[in-house]
Amino acid sequence: MSKGAEEKRVISDSELALSLQAGSLEALGVLYDRHRGLVFRTALAITGDAEAAADLMHDVFLRLHRFAAHIDPQRPLEPWLYRMTTNLSYTWVKRRQRWFRPLEDVADWLAGTHKDTPAYQAEMDDSWRQVQQAVSSLPLSHRGVVVLYYVNDLSLQEISEILDIPVGTVKSRLHYGRQALKQNLGLLAGEILPELQYEFT
Amino acid sequence: MENKSDALLRKMLKNWVNRQHPPDSSRGRLLWDAAHISSSKIDLTLIFLHPQAKPYSSSAENDWHQKFFSWINENSIQFGIQAHII
Repeated sequence: MSKGAEEKRVISDSELALSLQAGSLEALGVLYDRHRGLVFRTALAITGDAEAAADLMHDVFLRLHRFAAHIDPQRPLEPWLYRMTTNLSYTWVKRRQRWFRPLEDVADWLAGTHKDTPAYQAEMDDSWRQVQQAVSSLPLSHRGVVVLYYVNDLSLQEISEILDIPVGTVKSRLHYGRQALKQNLGLLAGEILPELQYEFT
Repeated sequence: MENKSDALLRKMLKNWVNRQHPPDSSRGRLLWDAAHISSSKIDLTLIFLHPQAKPYSSSAENDWHQKFFSWINENSIQFGIQAHII
C-alpha cells in the first residue's frame, strides 16, 4: 500500500474502539465526528427538544468513553449507540413527564420565558411544531420504533435487536405509530403541508 | 415497497430533525469532560448501596411500575449495563 493510500485509509470503528479502550481521546473524537449525527437525530426525534438532544449526545459519548472496556470491538458500534441513545432519551422523557416539566413551567413563568411567547413562536415554525407535537404525542415505545425506522432507516430486524423486542412487536408498534402520525399530520386525508415536503439534501 | 404516504412521512420526519444541529462547542466539551472523568472499573455493589434512581414523587399508591422502570433504567445506564424494558 502506498504512503498516500495508507494515510487516506479510513480507520474502522473496531480499531477506534480498541484505541478507546486504551484511553485514546483522539479515537473518541473520531467516533464522535463519525456518529454524532445519528445520536443527535435520534435523541432529538424522541425528546423533541434540541437542547436535551445535545446534552444526551454528550452523555452517550461520555459513556462510550467511560465504559469502553465493556464494548466488544468485534461487533458493530452503531447498535450500541442507538440502544444507549434510546435508553437515555426514554429516561429523559419519563423524568420530564413526571416532575421536571411542572417545575420547568413554573420557572419559565417566573422568568417570563414561557414557550408561548412571540419570540419562541417565531423561532419555531408552525408546520414543524405540528410535526414535533405529532411525534411527541406517540406513546414512548411507539415513538422509539418510529424514529429508528423512519429517521434512521433501520430495518425491522435491526430495531428488534436494538430494543430487544420481537420483530412482531416492532411491526405492531410501527403500525400503530405510523397510523397515529399520518392521522395527526393529515397524511391520510391528503392534507399534507407543501412546505414539509421539500427534498432533503 | 413503501407507499406514497410512507415515503412522505419519512421525508417529513427527516426534514424535521435535520433542521437542527448540535452546538459547535459540543466536541470540545466532550473531550474536556472525557479527559477529566475516570474510566475505572465499575463496582456493582454501588448500584445497591448508592442507587442512582431519583426518588420520584409518587402520585398514586400503585405506582410501583414507574419506580421499577426508573430504577432499572437509570441504574443500568449509570453503570453502562444494557437493560431493556418492554
